[in-house]
Amino acid sequence: MQQSDLCFLTIAEASRGLRRKEYSSTELTNACLERIDHIDGKLHCFVTLTADLAIKQATQAEQELRSGKDPGPLHGIPIALKDLYMTKSIRTTCHSAVLANWVPDYDATTVTKLQDAGAILLGKLGMHEFAFGGPSVDAPFPAVRNPWNTARIPGGSSSGSGASLAAGLCYGSLGSDTGGSIRTPSSHCGVVGMKPTYGRVSRFGVVPLSWSLDHAGPMARSVEDCAILLQIIAGYDPNDPASANVAVPNFRLGLNDGIKGLRIGVPRANWFDENLGVDPQTEGVFNQALETLEELGVTLVEIDGNPFSLARKANQTILVCEAYAYHEKRLQEAPEKFGSSVRRRILEGAFLSAADYITAQRVRSVLNAQISQSFSRVDILATPSAPRPPDPFEGMDPNEQNLRPSFTNPFNLTGLPAISVPCGFTVGNLPAGLQFVAPPFEEATAFRVAYAYEQATEWHKQRPML
Amino acid sequence: MEGEFTFDELRLMAQRAGLKLTDDELERLLPGVNRAKKQAGELRVLVSLDSDPAGTFNASRVTRN
Repeated sequence: MQQSDLCFLTIAEASRGLRRKEYSSTELTNACLERIDHIDGKLHCFVTLTADLAIKQATQAEQELRSGKDPGPLHGIPIALKDLYMTKSIRTTCHSAVLANWVPDYDATTVTKLQDAGAILLGKLGMHEFAFGGPSVDAPFPAVRNPWNTARIPGGSSSGSGASLAAGLCYGSLGSDTGGSIRTPSSHCGVVGMKPTYGRVSRFGVVPLSWSLDHAGPMARSVEDCAILLQIIAGYDPNDPASANVAVPNFRLGLNDGIKGLRIGVPRANWFDENLGVDPQTEGVFNQALETLEELGVTLVEIDGNPFSLARKANQTILVCEAYAYHEKRLQEAPEKFGSSVRRRILEGAFLSAADYITAQRVRSVLNAQISQSFSRVDILATPSAPRPPDPFEGMDPNEQNLRPSFTNPFNLTGLPAISVPCGFTVGNLPAGLQFVAPPFEEATAFRVAYAYEQATEWHKQRPML
Repeated sequence: MEGEFTFDELRLMAQRAGLKLTDDELERLLPGVNRAKKQAGELRVLVSLDSDPAGTFNASRVTRN
């Protein structure tokens, strides 16, 4: 097998190959490290490379597998982490000068779980500074580039996760999502990303942006791989006050059950036409995806999109208030250490009132009730993951996101599980994503629908020319 | 727009918040602050007196081991 083919295996495929002794964990790890060495100079996915640790972990995984120890499908598989997951003795920068040399003394709960599952850590990935504010032009690390077109943004804030997966630099990653930061780079880079239900995955040891909106979740090159990763990181954690003490089902069990007879809600009216509306090419790709779903036996149900449209205002109000509260002391003492983009966005929260924040939290209750009602009529929702293709870096308007509907942040406000899967390309060979949103703690339903769609199409098999 | 902050008001509020921001920075910040304030204001029509905030304090909850 050629090195590039080895690097583009899914986790499930690589795991099977390891057990058949077609290759070793060290070979997988070295293939990734060589590819990173060859192409990351033009993508800037990695902020910190942990090559020595990765080779050591791979050697250990090989020995364990030989001796009969097999903790599961992630054993011996190289992964990388968004650089806001705290890693003991490995710097965790949040892509910021504020934390450029910060070395945590403990691991995030999710990192411990990945280590216990035998994952190999290749390194820490670039992101939007503190997961907010867009690509950083004045951060101490270069902005991550989109592998499909390096003049374009990869989406954020989990930019390095999306780009490194699309470029075949790792097999799986963890991102975080406060308004779309897993699903947007997944969409823009042509990979799969799952934002689980709020409380499903511990955020202990994940540097916060907005406590009540932050979600941790997996990103990978296939739906099955996301299910594998979520299986490992999900579960109650008393160290996270928002962690939900609910049972974790087997997320892969129902993947092949099909979707015939399911009702899929499309909240198009009063949402897709918000402000500038959805980019016509993106909506065209989305409509084609809906046709594919109908061929698979689902019934499409048009529902009112107004509550989803209103959700953005509440989401953004809560986000800037909580982000400012978290960073207040740093902004008072050394504002110059923040990049200009993230500093300006977070500072907005300094000038909103307590009543503004609490009103947004009250609106959250109202909209949550309205959006929950949707699931009395449908089993799952479908939307585009992003309203437009990835922008070019040059001439990018940071306020553009407010001129189009946001298909992601209503589901941070409501905490509902949402997955983005590749669903085609717009002009210029730029990937587009399809989002499915399920009722709370029904990630398995989202995985089942996304898997059925994925298996009926070839989009997830496309690779960028690098 | 009614209720918008002026530059001088923003500068005073920044000082009271302990933020040392230059006039240039405050100028750049002003449109975003007014947009955020307007957006937050628009939310008020969506709640009634019986709308509780999302998230509640629960005294029995242990927050950290």
